Amino acid sequence: MAFEKSPIILIAIRHLLSKKRQTIVAMLGVTFGIAIFIFQGGLMTGFQSTFIDQTINTSANIRIYNEAKMDRPSVLSKVDSLKHKWIVIRNQKPKDDLPKIKNIYGILSILEKDKNIEGISPFLGSQVIFKLGMAQYSGRAVGVDIMKENVLFNVEKNNLQGSIIKLQTIPNGIILGEGLADQIGAKLNDNIIIISPAGVTLEMKVVGINRTGITELDKSRAYINIRNAQKLLQVDNAYITDINIKLKDIDKAEVLARYYEKKFGYRAMDWKEANTNIFGIFNIQNMITYLIIVSILIVSGFGIFNILMMIIYEKMPDIAILKAVGYRDKDIIQIFLLESMIIGIFGGLLGLLMGFAMQKIVGSIRMNVKGFVSLEYLKFNSSPYFFMFAYFFALLVTAVAGYIPAKKAAKTDAIDILRSK
Amino acid sequence: MNTTPVIQTIKLNKFYHDPVEFQALKNINISINQGEFVSIVGASGSGKSTLLYVLSTLDSDYEGEILLDNEALHNKTTEELAALRNEKIGFVFQFHYLLPEFTVIENVAMPALKLNKYSKTEIFEHAYQKLNLLGLSDQANKKANKLSGGQQQRVAIARALINNPKIIMGDEPTGNLDSKNSNLVYDIFRELNKDFQQTFLVVTHDMHFAEKSDRIITLHDGEIIKV
Repeated sequence: MAFEKSPIILIAIRHLLSKKRQTIVAMLGVTFGIAIFIFQGGLMTGFQSTFIDQTINTSANIRIYNEAKMDRPSVLSKVDSLKHKWIVIRNQKPKDDLPKIKNIYGILSILEKDKNIEGISPFLGSQVIFKLGMAQYSGRAVGVDIMKENVLFNVEKNNLQGSIIKLQTIPNGIILGEGLADQIGAKLNDNIIIISPAGVTLEMKVVGINRTGITELDKSRAYINIRNAQKLLQVDNAYITDINIKLKDIDKAEVLARYYEKKFGYRAMDWKEANTNIFGIFNIQNMITYLIIVSILIVSGFGIFNILMMIIYEKMPDIAILKAVGYRDKDIIQIFLLESMIIGIFGGLLGLLMGFAMQKIVGSIRMNVKGFVSLEYLKFNSSPYFFMFAYFFALLVTAVAGYIPAKKAAKTDAIDILRSK
Repeated sequence: MNTTPVIQTIKLNKFYHDPVEFQALKNINISINQGEFVSIVGASGSGKSTLLYVLSTLDSDYEGEILLDNEALHNKTTEELAALRNEKIGFVFQFHYLLPEFTVIENVAMPALKLNKYSKTEIFEHAYQKLNLLGLSDQANKKANKLSGGQQQRVAIARALINNPKIIMGDEPTGNLDSKNSNLVYDIFRELNKDFQQTFLVVTHDMHFAEKSDRIITLHDGEIIKV
């Protein structure tokens, strides 16, 4: 077999074996590099995808609403005969209008027939003050059809206590976010009072406590039924401000949002647009993480570079004799490149294992992180592609770190060394 | 004796440009025949080593032409030269240059593994035969650096022989040995020359050694003054 006969492989292995300690140190350099890559990068991307999942689960794929426009063109500008004239209107006042969606039933019935849509949930929100005894807390009461809302946001799954169906069966039911319930000290079946900006006061009964995992949301939101929300705002029973939509294919969100916008004349915002700033932060975060990881791998690359240079200086006479007896420059490059690749391949494999172990160990420690989102355990990205990418990248670094000394070795001036002195 | 030239030079000139322009070899025309045992002598700086390394194909910076086994060398790439060297030239240097991580027999086999003409088993059989020829078969599986200086030089000779080269070139092959081992190396060369018509071209300053060869080429300031 050509493999075992190849003197190049033989020489490379013997060189490494003759320098066991340095070889192991160089390997460990790669090992730690990869392990940190997998741990750190896995933590970052794992966290991000959990976050994205939770965000998607709590924000609608598309939200249709009546956007308050700051810049309202004057009615006069619509008159054709005045097109190229200066028009000055002083003290223009916006019309006192409500952010309701007109013809809500018409829009809903069109959406219901749309095959792209999995679920629709109309809602109506209002700022309110939650009050229980002495405790007061301001937040947002959202009027929904809870069964429709459940299709979109898995309310039932996130429900910690009580049952969501009671929102429909009990006329004055309310489901509190976990943080909100804590703030005012409300328990299941307590009666609390909510007061709207319009001055309407309703007494509500806590029928459920809910946790989405997004801290901000859990601290401020409560579900009530649409009718009660309309009462709080003192509006008629066709008054709806927002329509949330869940799509069958989330990737179509952007296209469909534009389409609905045109069709209904209301603003339609897709989930990516709604979370632009978060994705922006992720990009910067990723850049920083990967810069750190790349520099770690470059350091391990230097480790390999170092040991190879050492071997090469020491083995100059060996290189010279190999060249004399007919080994080509290419063979010499292969020998040393192979040495560095052996370090990379085995050090890297060990690094994959170590990184995986670190992920599993840290991932099994209960953390109870309460930040932007609340997590019980740290989530890691352990997709095989991520591991493959890490390994590939390490091999690339190894190859570069090995090629430079190998090239130098091939340039050894054999005559200068062999010539009698 | 056969009289085909193994190696032949035509108007060979070599210049060094650094640090100053200097002509190291001047118009060298020599021809070494199959089965000859030739020594090159000369004072240090006479160009004898330079000539050897040009002939060995390791140094390809020269003017003129060299024919190795009737093949012109000047326009060959370094890769082609390496292949030619591997197949047709054996080397014995002042030092043994054995690879310390390898056993004696592996060292001997190294050029043959590169040539890749025989199976691994055959190569090691040949290597063993060469070692046997030099009385070292009992050392075959020792690490090369565990041998004495004289033994190591003999292993180097076995390595030079492994591909049955057209010519063996020596650069002071006895320069690092005591007189007993020097004589031994000479005797080995002589025997190989006699028994197998092995051609030798040896640079030496050891006049003892040179006098015993078939022909002496004397160099002075890059010129042949006596053949």
